[in-house]
Amino acid sequence: MNPVFALPPAFVVLAVALVLPFLPRREGHALGFLATAGVSIWSLVAPAGVHVPMRFLGFDAILLQVDTLSRLMGIIFGLIAAAAVLYSYSSDAENRQTAFALGYVGTSLGAVYAGDWLTMVFFWELMAVTSTLLVWDYGGEAVRAGFRYAIYHGLGGSLLMAAVVWHYTQVGSFLFSESAGMVAGVPTALAAIGIGVNVGFVGLHTWLPDTYPRPHIAASVFLSVYTTKTGVYGLARAFPDGHIAIAYMGAAMAMIGVLYALVQHDMRRLLSYHIQSQVGYMVAGVGIGTALATAGAFAHVFNHILYKALLFMTAGVIVSRTGKEDLYGLGNLRGFLPFTGIAFAIAALSISGFPGFNGFVSKGMVTAAAHKEHLTVIYYLLLAAGVGTFMSFIKFGYYAFLNSHGQSYDVNYAAWGQRIAMLSIAGLTIFFGLFPEYLFAYLPGSTASAHPFTPGHITEGLILAALGLIGFVVVKRPLSKLGLVPDVDAIIEPATFYGTRTLVRGVTELFAAVDRVVAGSAYEVAGTISDPYALLTRIRRQVTSGTERIRPGSLRATISVSVVLLIAVLGGVLIGLLV
Amino acid sequence: MSTVTSWLPLAAVLAPIAGIVLILATRRQPNVREGATILTAVSTLVLVASMVPTVLSGGVPTADLGGFVPGVAFVLRADPLGMIFALLASFLWLITSFYSIGYMRGLSEHSQTRYFAAFAGSIASAVGVAFASNLIVLYVFYELLTVATYPLVAHDQTKEARTAGRKYLAYTFGGGVAALAGTALIFVATGTVAFTPGGIAELATVDPLVGKAAFALLAGGFGVKAALMPIHSWLPDAMVAPTPVSGLLHAVAVVKSGVFAIARVVIDVFGPVQMSEWGLGIPLAIVAAATILIASVIALRQDNLKRRLAYSTISQLSYIILGLALLSPAAMVGGLLHIPAHAFMKLTLFFAAGAIHVETHIDDISDMAGIGRRMPVTMIAFAIASVGMAGLPVVAGFVSKWYLLIGSVDAGHSIFVLVLLASGLLNIGYFWPIVYQAFFQTPADSDAKPLLEGPFGGSPTRTDGGEPASEGEYAVDRNPSDLEKDKPKSDPETDNSDSEAHAEDHGHHGGPPAGGWDWHPFGTESTWFMLGPILVTATGAIVLGIDPQGAIFLDLIFDVVETAAEVTFP
Repeated sequence: MNPVFALPPAFVVLAVALVLPFLPRREGHALGFLATAGVSIWSLVAPAGVHVPMRFLGFDAILLQVDTLSRLMGIIFGLIAAAAVLYSYSSDAENRQTAFALGYVGTSLGAVYAGDWLTMVFFWELMAVTSTLLVWDYGGEAVRAGFRYAIYHGLGGSLLMAAVVWHYTQVGSFLFSESAGMVAGVPTALAAIGIGVNVGFVGLHTWLPDTYPRPHIAASVFLSVYTTKTGVYGLARAFPDGHIAIAYMGAAMAMIGVLYALVQHDMRRLLSYHIQSQVGYMVAGVGIGTALATAGAFAHVFNHILYKALLFMTAGVIVSRTGKEDLYGLGNLRGFLPFTGIAFAIAALSISGFPGFNGFVSKGMVTAAAHKEHLTVIYYLLLAAGVGTFMSFIKFGYYAFLNSHGQSYDVNYAAWGQRIAMLSIAGLTIFFGLFPEYLFAYLPGSTASAHPFTPGHITEGLILAALGLIGFVVVKRPLSKLGLVPDVDAIIEPATFYGTRTLVRGVTELFAAVDRVVAGSAYEVAGTISDPYALLTRIRRQVTSGTERIRPGSLRATISVSVVLLIAVLGGVLIGLLV
Repeated sequence: MSTVTSWLPLAAVLAPIAGIVLILATRRQPNVREGATILTAVSTLVLVASMVPTVLSGGVPTADLGGFVPGVAFVLRADPLGMIFALLASFLWLITSFYSIGYMRGLSEHSQTRYFAAFAGSIASAVGVAFASNLIVLYVFYELLTVATYPLVAHDQTKEARTAGRKYLAYTFGGGVAALAGTALIFVATGTVAFTPGGIAELATVDPLVGKAAFALLAGGFGVKAALMPIHSWLPDAMVAPTPVSGLLHAVAVVKSGVFAIARVVIDVFGPVQMSEWGLGIPLAIVAAATILIASVIALRQDNLKRRLAYSTISQLSYIILGLALLSPAAMVGGLLHIPAHAFMKLTLFFAAGAIHVETHIDDISDMAGIGRRMPVTMIAFAIASVGMAGLPVVAGFVSKWYLLIGSVDAGHSIFVLVLLASGLLNIGYFWPIVYQAFFQTPADSDAKPLLEGPFGGSPTRTDGGEPASEGEYAVDRNPSDLEKDKPKSDPETDNSDSEAHAEDHGHHGGPPAGGWDWHPFGTESTWFMLGPILVTATGAIVLGIDPQGAIFLDLIFDVVETAAEVTFP
């Protein structure tokens, strides 16, 4: 076999990340682009199979394993990283930031190409570290958001770790090939919640909309791709046959995510809630677990990465050109940022699932799978979420690019690199929207029953779009008057804060008290041993009501007393021996 | 295992003692004196390392010095368990010696000869503890270690230092007495105190009450140096010692002599089988688990960096105890592996704290915002070690935690899985803010620390579209910092004492400079005497985290556990 296929792509990208801070900016980014684009091509052509088996930390492990699932993830992770590096370069990202970003890409690649749970968790945890660094790098508000992000992912990673360890004690091996998914019971429960943090299960999701809007615009592009999608991948590994509870959770994510997205007007925050919503479709697909659903879930992974990265790129251009994050402060941008406007329109149509764009195909596969399995609730939730998606992207487009009050901006067009990155991804979303069969060839599960362009499906897409438009017109005014809508963090935040604060204070004070007692009695005993007379005086006063102090020398015994004492002791010993 | 007669174990103990003589003899020429320290450290390491091939191939180098007390022979044996500790102590002593030179000269400390001589004495005792072949010999070296360390704890000669020194002696001698009583019980009950892999066979016929009492005395006595709660409080106070002492002795040699002695008691005196028959493991595991969590919670609140590290040490030492107490093979591997893992990581952290102290005279975490510009290499090493402390990969802490987790589930006590994972989160909670404020904040924009002074995500979310929260809306403004208010209350006697002493001595002020930190490029932030050791220990922590078998330790540990628990590792 060609030795190039024994070289883990993760290592190549990580090596570039390590040297990048020491290279000139242009050469460094060029190298990053080449490495990640190379990973994408490598993934496309690498033969399936186990490539790097090894012993790791005293266990059997597989550092590099190519199968349908990991190949698909490798292709899209490499492709989007290349575009994002180009975008970073023309968005004035520092080398250090892109280095962290490539560290994040590399560790994600390590996780999806792992052939066993140990290696996967190893990279999974590293992914949490590198992405935290990427957030922190921007400084300011991003730092604390990044810390919360770290805590959440520490929690999620820990639960996954516990799941994997438990799985190991049941199976006796970490290798994926040794068991079909994770052992049911405690391991699957732990894994579901642990991975649930990564994919943004309802209730565990607030880190997502809080973190992704805060760092550098190019960092957001990277962040929008890897953590959640690696999570979906992990979920599919743990639950190869799906689980009905996960399917319902996915539908709930799709619906609740889109509702919260609809009420946002910070652009990147709106997009972040849409990540939760769109990942909901994928989670639902994995949860339904049929061949079509799995194929649909991973088609949606692929397509969503394309259009969501594109959306974050367009939002990033708007933020960097106008300096505004708030949709209500924008408008009439279509003439000032025309390329960005076109790219946004294509991405918005894709995410909303308009026929002819890629989101339509994969979203349709998941909903069709739900329909086929007669999961009516899930089916309608997913459809309704589709309407909500149309509504919120009509809202985004309206407030950013239309909504003219004669606003005027003194801004340049998007930079060349940004334009190339955006328009080429936009081209891909249309390409895969029109010719999905090129994607179908690389999907896990089965696309045998996927028929995206039946008249029924197309009508369905058009109806959803129309409902979305009507919906937006109806709720536009009340929506614009809506203030802050609290999410679950309104409860979690104060609870953790006051909870830990009380705990820490309680424990510290309690232990200070314990320490005082221990140290106090220790010194008391030590003092009594070195100077017993004070204690003896006290005892004497209590027992005999005598008042004289006992001092050194006053305990001296006369000869007769000594003899009596000696006899008493010897007698006692004698009796003890005889008895 | 086969006994191989060898003078090497004895030589490894005697080498540092000869070093004391050399150091004292050359006291008038500091450069020669430091040369003597390095020479001794190198020879000790060479002597210990030269036994590694024999030990790995199943031999046990043994030096028999004949009768000691009736029924007990003075024998030094380099068995796998002893090698783990001896190898670790002698290797890290060499690294720390270089660091000590940089540290002591950087601060122009007094009494450096006494310092280096006492250090050599401590290592001699530590190697003696490692190679002791029975409880009596172990006890002798264990107490010698206490004596040799006292001058180091009280080095500053201030009132605080003397108080801490006295407290140290009171606690550890007290523990020693208990351990000796336990030893006597074992001897009376079984007629032997020699370490036997898998436990002393005669114990099986002993009255369970006597056996349990002996175990309580031994574990409680040695538990003092292992800083089990509630007999831990000498350790945070001992942080008045110079930082290399806090690093090598109070994170490695001294505290781990306690942990190591408990390992001997569990593995070689009682043995896993007898332990579980008498149900001795679970109580010990519960104490360890409580220590892990409580110490971490207290650490959250320490603002003095060395004190925070001390509480972290207390917590991490109990990982080792927990692993031993769970008695399942994987747990024991994890526990024993945490001995070197924690040593490398914690030494890195202490070295970093010391380098910051020498270069900037800052000891409080709240003054360290932006210090990554001033001390980049130091703080990168600190960051790596703090990732490892949280049990995250690439660093040694991940491997030992992984084995501990497997061992907890294997032993059927999955509650300890939760304890370990919660501890990992707490570690993120108290180490990572130090890292992020060092690199990603400046003294001007650093904010209140999470969890205690504000919600852990910082300012309220910006659903309204991008206006940052204005002053007064942060939780920290509503609930001002605990730190200033509570600092004197938490520990009036010893808090921050060494920094104040130095500040007076040298006329430096604490806190960051007015205009923020200057950028110091690679290699200019401190002397290589300090940077070199920092890099070596950080690298060591990573090597252990990626290839623990290549780093010898895991193989030695497999040997130990295979013999003790009669299992086979691949």
